[in-house]
Amino acid sequence: MQTTDLLSFGRGGVHPGPHKQATAGRPIEPLPTPHEVRLPLLQHLGEPATPIVKKNDIVRRGQKIADGGATGVPIHATISGKVRPIEKYPHPTQVIAPAIVIQRQTVDPGELEFPEDPEWRACSSEEAIARIREAGIVGLGGAAFPTWRKLMPPRGSEPETLIINGAECEPYLTSDYRLMLAYPREIVEGSLAMARILRVARVLIGVESDKREAAEALTAACAQTDTGGIPVAVRLCAVRYPQGAERQLVEALTGRVMPAGALPTAVGVLVQNVATAVAVHEAVRFRRPLLDRVLTVTGPGIHTPCNVRVPIGTLIGEVVAYCGGMSDDATRVVAGGPMMGRALPRLDVPVIKGMNGLVMLTGRGPQESGFGPCISCGRCLEACPLGLEPDQVSLRVEAGRPLDTEPYGALDCYECGCCSYVCPAERPLVQFMQVAKSALRRSAAVKAIA
Amino acid sequence: MSQSPELVLAPGPHLHAPDTTARIMWWVNGSLAPAALWGVFVFGAGALVTIASSIAGAAGAEWLACRALKRRASLADGSATCTGLLLALTLPPAMPWWMPLLGGAFAILVAKMMFGGLGFNLFNPALAGRAFMMATFPLAMTGAWLAPRAHFAARLDAVTTATPLAVLKEHGLAAAMKLVAGPDYWSGLMLGFRPGSLGEVSAVLIALGATVLVARGIIGLAIPLGVFAGVVATTMWSGAPGLHLLGGGLWLGAFYMATDYVTSPSTRGGQWVFGFVIGALTGIIRMFGGYPEGICYAILIANALVPALNLWFRPRRLALAGSPS
Repeated sequence: MQTTDLLSFGRGGVHPGPHKQATAGRPIEPLPTPHEVRLPLLQHLGEPATPIVKKNDIVRRGQKIADGGATGVPIHATISGKVRPIEKYPHPTQVIAPAIVIQRQTVDPGELEFPEDPEWRACSSEEAIARIREAGIVGLGGAAFPTWRKLMPPRGSEPETLIINGAECEPYLTSDYRLMLAYPREIVEGSLAMARILRVARVLIGVESDKREAAEALTAACAQTDTGGIPVAVRLCAVRYPQGAERQLVEALTGRVMPAGALPTAVGVLVQNVATAVAVHEAVRFRRPLLDRVLTVTGPGIHTPCNVRVPIGTLIGEVVAYCGGMSDDATRVVAGGPMMGRALPRLDVPVIKGMNGLVMLTGRGPQESGFGPCISCGRCLEACPLGLEPDQVSLRVEAGRPLDTEPYGALDCYECGCCSYVCPAERPLVQFMQVAKSALRRSAAVKAIA
Repeated sequence: MSQSPELVLAPGPHLHAPDTTARIMWWVNGSLAPAALWGVFVFGAGALVTIASSIAGAAGAEWLACRALKRRASLADGSATCTGLLLALTLPPAMPWWMPLLGGAFAILVAKMMFGGLGFNLFNPALAGRAFMMATFPLAMTGAWLAPRAHFAARLDAVTTATPLAVLKEHGLAAAMKLVAGPDYWSGLMLGFRPGSLGEVSAVLIALGATVLVARGIIGLAIPLGVFAGVVATTMWSGAPGLHLLGGGLWLGAFYMATDYVTSPSTRGGQWVFGFVIGALTGIIRMFGGYPEGICYAILIANALVPALNLWFRPRRLALAGSPS
């Protein structure tokens, strides 16, 4: 393991307080079976799943309940119980969307059995991808892109390096950290399964240096695993936000800079999250679908911060209740990390596949008292990891000229939030970027029609 | 199911770095306190009146302008106080109280609010106020220099005197050094036992305040070091680069005026050029111009270059072939 020089990306970034100590020492605990789960048909990028069960059907945990279609992934029952009428329910990212609701019954028939395939390491790429697709796996780092599609890069852009993302650079979150400590063998096996599918020359696992124990566990797991000739190396990265963003991790581990608007395959790399690797291992070895996910529930506004494994679809209110409830002064519930996560309006929304944490914050957040004029301090220019100019974009959007923002890089922004984080005038620079981006895209679409 | 209608729905990021505009401004004001108090110590209570009336003029103008323009009150952000304080520190210690009051009001009303308020002014408001006072009260602005505390400077018997740079221009280095009191010439210059503007005299205390700002990440060193480099480069052959570095308002200008966020370039490259231009112009004005001191006009001239410098020195875009525009 490399311990001397910490790898990092070239420019920008910020160092928010880590706030990880509340949950870093707490092993993953399973949530007791919830009373009901709501499984939205769309929890991934792609077309929504099509239900194959109907009202009053009795389903068992692990049973497929919706078909994935050509671009999506199927959905499975994450608890055993009775299917309720399929209706629209509140959704954490889409406001309101159709979901399959399963209600727990008094008699629990238990989970379907998923016996190991003894020949799993030898299964063909096509078979492995089919199993990953059937298991409903999406990128568990947050983007929720169907993993089977990511593992089928178009001809001509096949990667030669697979990067496994264990950076977990978001403050507060420790779910990936605890996962790396609890399942290092599974992460390495899942990574190797993906490496065999992609026929890459090497696997690099990137871990931020504040998670040294996780890196050591993974290194030990690599030594104990027959990698079949594929070199697997664990690399320590500097603690620096946004180290775990795809572009920044690729740059840190390989020194390669991705062109604007390109995917990592443009520089011969493919990135998968550690939690995805665990799910891939389960899918290829046991044909076990993705049923649970590990969630960090933390922040000053929760009674007992912890890392908890919850069936997907569990309502956030039930997770919060398990953690002792929210404190009276809690003001925000953030799904995901506090830098890129989104605030939830209510607690009766389900945990979806791409949700890696719930952060309960207290007090007044940034920008709640409005924002001031740009004082040209240049801090956003220094913080932007892409070298964009959030100050110029924000001034033009404020002046009603969002279409003039292209030269300042609005279209390249992936909204890591570093600029808003440092802005002393508390300007919502990320939102100005979003306004600029949507205006530029709309104008491009109009031009394409005309 | 617990419904929480009081949850705040706000866009991310949900964390913020500790620094805000107001916090930065008040740190700047606080870091100036030692130099200001030193001015009161060496020049007497008249200096306190100058400081108070300049701040009152600036803060009163800010309050009035916000009322008149129906804008959100911005007095609490500390920037008007900062302008008033900085202006006072560039003034001669003994002035009628109403002059700094007018100067502070001009700085805020004309140089700041008429340009659109905080963030939109092209020229440093404090220095624009000083330039206004130079034009309006030329005698008071050039003749009201007090000798540092008489008990420290026994060899001077007049109450008013000239500044070291003025004497350097008229009578040469030896005469200029006679104005410096204290243990010996150089430590007297560093500590501030010399005639001069209220807050410029103690390089040590200004450096102390600036160290706090640098340590807190509020100002960078590119602009001040650029200024010093420019002054040294232009005054190296004059025979008195030391007096040029320590005998005028260079430290106050380099660390506090030139580093004003709004009126300085936003990127490192532009900041170096900006600083060097200020330093070089200061040296040139002092040696060849009509004024003994040049830092004020040097900064105001360089302020006009800032939009161009921001265009020429832009951040290098990662992942982009060819730069825009």
